[in-house]
Amino acid sequence: MKAIEVTGVHFTYDDGTEALSGVDFHVSEGEFVAILGSNGSGKTTLIGLLVGLLKPKTGRIMIGGRAIGELSTEELYQRVGLVFQNPNDQLFAATVEEDCAFGPRNLNLPEAEVQERVTEALDAVAALPLRGRAIHHLSFGEQKRVSLAGVMAMRPSVLILDEPTAGLDPAGEAQMMQLLKKLNREEGLTVILATHSVDMLPLFANRIYVLDHGRVLQEGPSEEIFCHQEMIVRAKLRLPYVSRLMYEMKRHDGVPIDGLPLTIGEARVRLLELIPKELIIAELEEKKA
Amino acid sequence: MFDLFSDIFTYRDNALTRIDPRVKLLIALAALIAVVTAERIVLPLAVFTFCLGAVAILRIPAKLVACRLAAPLSIVAVLVVIQTFVTGKTPLFAFTFAGWQFTAKAEGFRQGTLLGAHVLGAVSVVFLLSIVTPAHRIFQALRWFRISRNWLEIAILMYRYIFVLMDRVADLAAAQKLRLGYTARGRALRSFTTLAGATIIHSLEQAQRTHDAMRLRGYRGTMPFGPLPAVSGRDLRILSLCLIAIAAARLLEWGMSG
Repeated sequence: MKAIEVTGVHFTYDDGTEALSGVDFHVSEGEFVAILGSNGSGKTTLIGLLVGLLKPKTGRIMIGGRAIGELSTEELYQRVGLVFQNPNDQLFAATVEEDCAFGPRNLNLPEAEVQERVTEALDAVAALPLRGRAIHHLSFGEQKRVSLAGVMAMRPSVLILDEPTAGLDPAGEAQMMQLLKKLNREEGLTVILATHSVDMLPLFANRIYVLDHGRVLQEGPSEEIFCHQEMIVRAKLRLPYVSRLMYEMKRHDGVPIDGLPLTIGEARVRLLELIPKELIIAELEEKKA
Repeated sequence: MFDLFSDIFTYRDNALTRIDPRVKLLIALAALIAVVTAERIVLPLAVFTFCLGAVAILRIPAKLVACRLAAPLSIVAVLVVIQTFVTGKTPLFAFTFAGWQFTAKAEGFRQGTLLGAHVLGAVSVVFLLSIVTPAHRIFQALRWFRISRNWLEIAILMYRYIFVLMDRVADLAAAQKLRLGYTARGRALRSFTTLAGATIIHSLEQAQRTHDAMRLRGYRGTMPFGPLPAVSGRDLRILSLCLIAIAAARLLEWGMSG
C-alpha cells in the first residue's frame, strides 16, 4: 500500500517563484526514500506539501490512500511527522521531557500514556538520559535526536526529515543515519529524507528521487541513479566520494573495475577481485598459519 | 550577557532546589510583600543578607552574583542620590559644583535608603529564587496557581528563544566586528541598528517556523502543561515555618516602627 502518493503537483510561491512543476512522487509503506537535490531544487517545498503546511496550486496528494484535505490535523499528524532541519525551530519547550510530551498532550492522552510515549520515543533515539535536561543545555547532536523523539512521540507511520545530518560531525551523522535505519528496518517506519548529502544514501535508501528546479529528474534505486553521471551533474550533485574514485580509476587509469561501487564495502570487494592473491598480506598470513 | 541568563545552577542538587516550586513561589511572594511594605531598612537588609548568605552557601560564583546585582545596585545608588538631593527640608551638608548649589537633606536620605533597601531586598529574593528553581518549574507552579495560560505560553517561548536569539545576535555582532563594523562611532551606530533590525527579522522568521513546528504536533492555540505532584509533607512544613518567620519578622518590624 502507498503511504504517500503525489500526482502532478505544481506549487508557486506568492512572489511568482515556481518551486515545483508537475511532480509525481510515491512512497510505499516501510520504504526508505531519499529526496536528493541541490539547494533551491524544491525539496523543502515538497516536504511542506506532504505535511500540509503548503497547499498545491494543482495536483493531488494522498496520505495512506486518502486525500490530504480530507484528513483532520490530528489524523494527519499522527500519520506523518516532520523533523525540521534546524532543531531550534522545533524544540520550543524548556526541557526535553516537556518537549517530547507536547504532541501526546495535544492529543489529550492520559498522563500515564503521555509518559509512556515520551520514554519510548527518547529510548528509540538513545536520548533517555537527557530526559530532565534543559533544551538550551544540549549539544547540537543531542538537540537533533531530541527533536526526532518529539515527533516519534506522536507515533507517526511516516517520518519525514529535512536534512537530518546537516551540521552534525561525522560520528553524529553516522549515528543519526544508523538510528533512521533502525527505525525503518526494525520498527517498520516509512522514512522520507530530504538531503543533498550523497555519501550515505546508497547504504540506507531503497529509492532515490533526484529533484532539480522543481522537477523530478530521475527516480530509482541508488545503483540506477548514480550510473547517470550527466543527470547527477545537471542536478548540481556529485557521486559518493568512493564511487568517484572508482570512476576516475576506470576512466583515467583503465582499471577494469566491475560496475560502479557506491559504498566502501562494495569498492573493497571489487578492488580485492583485481589484486593478485599473492599481494594480499592478510591472505598470505592466513595461508602460513 | 550570557552569565546574566545562565541557569546551570538551578539544575544542581541541593536542599533548596529539592523544594517544591509552588512552596518556593509562596515563600518568595511572602518575602517580597514583607520587604516592599517595610517601613524601616532593617527587614529588607536582613532579607538581603539572608539571601546573599544562602547564595554563598550554595557556592554561586561571585562574578555571577555581581553580574546579576549590578543593575539593581545602580538603581539603588541613583535612588539614594536623587532622593537625598531632591526630597526633604533638613540640610545634612551642601556643596557647590559648576556654579550649582547642592544640598543633601536628612528626610531625602532616609527615604532614599528605605527605597534602596526595598529594591535590594526584593531583588535578592527573586535572585535566590532564580538560582534554585529552573524556569520551567516556575512556569508549572504558576500554571498550578491558575495564572493565565496565554501569558505563561508567551513567557515559556520567550524564555526558550531568548537563548537562541542571543546566540544569533552574538554571531552577527562578531561578524560585524570582524569586518570592522565598530571601529568608528558613526559606523558602530550603523552596525548596531543593522544588528537590531536583523534580530527583529530573525525573531519573526523564528516565530513562523516555531509556529509551523507546533502545528505539526497538534497545537491548537493552547500549550498543554504537565501535572505537578502533590506537595510533600516536608515541603508543607518548610512553607509553614517560613511563612511564620516572615510574618513574625514583619510584625516585629511594625512594632519597632510604631
